[in-house]
Amino acid sequence: MSTKQGGLGWLFASPYLLYSIVFFLIPLFWSLFLSFTDWNLIAPTFSFVGIENYVDAVQSEGVQSAFFVTFKFMALFVPLVVAFSLIIAVLVNGLPKFKGLFLIGFFLPYLASGVVSSLIVKGLLSYNSPINEVLRNTFGLDIDWLGTPSGALFVVALIIAWKFSGYYALILTSGFGSIDKGIYEAAMIDGVNGWQRFWKITFPLLYPALFTVLILSIGVTFGIFTEVYQLTGGGPNFATNTWQMEIFTRAFSNLQAGYASAIAIIASIVTFVSIWIIRKLMEMWGKRNGWD
Amino acid sequence: MAGTKKKWVWIRYLIAGVFLLIMIFPYIYMVLNSFADWSQVDKKLIPTDFTLESYAWLFGGGEAVIPRPWLNAFLNSFIVSAASTFLMMVSAIMVAYALAKIPFKGRDTVNNFILFQMFFPAIILLIPTFLVIQKLGMYDSYLGMILPKAMSLWAVFMYTNFFKAIPQTFIEAAKLDGASELQIMFKIVIPMSKSITTVIFLFLFMERWTELLWDMLVAKSDEMLTLNVLLSQMFGPYGGYPGPMYAASVLLTMPILIIFLIFAKKFQEGMQFTLK
Repeated sequence: MSTKQGGLGWLFASPYLLYSIVFFLIPLFWSLFLSFTDWNLIAPTFSFVGIENYVDAVQSEGVQSAFFVTFKFMALFVPLVVAFSLIIAVLVNGLPKFKGLFLIGFFLPYLASGVVSSLIVKGLLSYNSPINEVLRNTFGLDIDWLGTPSGALFVVALIIAWKFSGYYALILTSGFGSIDKGIYEAAMIDGVNGWQRFWKITFPLLYPALFTVLILSIGVTFGIFTEVYQLTGGGPNFATNTWQMEIFTRAFSNLQAGYASAIAIIASIVTFVSIWIIRKLMEMWGKRNGWD
Repeated sequence: MAGTKKKWVWIRYLIAGVFLLIMIFPYIYMVLNSFADWSQVDKKLIPTDFTLESYAWLFGGGEAVIPRPWLNAFLNSFIVSAASTFLMMVSAIMVAYALAKIPFKGRDTVNNFILFQMFFPAIILLIPTFLVIQKLGMYDSYLGMILPKAMSLWAVFMYTNFFKAIPQTFIEAAKLDGASELQIMFKIVIPMSKSITTVIFLFLFMERWTELLWDMLVAKSDEMLTLNVLLSQMFGPYGGYPGPMYAASVLLTMPILIIFLIFAKKFQEGMQFTLK
């Protein structure tokens, strides 16, 4: 009986085993191997170059920009998406009826392809677009949205925040759902005002949902590709050059497969360590304030 | 008191409604511009003259190499997304069932390895996965786009948690009646997970439908391009033809929007569970 059970378990788990060998373990070691070579993706031959790729990578403008651009995106995107999703969650939570309908509506941006949202934004921000006409003619502002480093960063962060805020609002509203209305009534009797009520009651109770949203949104910043590829190509002058963009360009445009593999390994270490540190800091912050 | 409360409720709906309108404005802008006269595309916030010229250009083949590449690309997107999502669902249910309901030696090891792999930064795999596909002779083919995305660890994780919550007594009772594991899976476990299946299906399909990077690497010939890749290439760096660009965007967005709205109610129910 037990051997039969054992066999059945492994049989059911076999899709995973097969998949992880072909598309995880083999690629993982292949990547490590490549990162010590100068292979160019096409040539039949290559030679070992030791840690040269790694040394070159950390000194290159591409890798250094990817490192900082990711944190710049985080500094822009995370506050934006948290603010948007909180606003949506608070607005929807205040409605006595049709909550579900509104949540579905706010979720729709999540369905957009990054290519589509980028193209729409490109149209909205083109030189003769209605938005720019108004800014130019009424306010005398001539903004080259995607041509300046900070403008391009902001536009990309805004597109991604637009996409995710409805999804994150869903997570936050489930946090609201768990808050007992009696607490508010008790607070009202004690004369607690709106602002105190939010910070002392709503926020701590919302904290677990908010924690999830923060972790998810921080994870998103390490995987930005489509919007940047479509809108800026990583520019102007590396200002929006994310890890994915850098690796894609190096490996598949410049055909430096060995060098790009080294960058990919550096990128995954940076990603892993950064997320781990941020998570620990957030947990400490939450504990110190007694929120969890 | 009751009167003021009622007034406040209307203002709440108004604010939420306006905010919702702002959030979905890009979609409205896209649809309106796809029907707008070409002289008005991207010139007016709300176009006033309408035409079908953009769609005619799109389905007439525009200036592309093969005629009607858009319909072909649409079909490619559908084949790749449907096959990929189907495989992801089936594999996730199988593996999760084993992890949640079949005690076997080494189960904890498999479970831990899945967790490890889930949190492993996937960026490291991009180049070598491309090489694996090349070596398997799947470059520029449907299989090359489908197989590397035939399994979702997130789906395995979600299903495992859900299956674990199904009381063991159901399973034991069915076993006493002589049901096999497969029968239990199909007759009891899968029917019980309808709402979470909707959530997982929608997320996986959406993600696959809007994938750019991988499809762009694997699909090279014009006949193999997915809609998203074709859209990206056609209207990428040089712009031009903004009208057809919006029409193509509508073509890409509508199917996913319709599928989502059909399942919206089930999706919401499922999310309630998912977020617990």
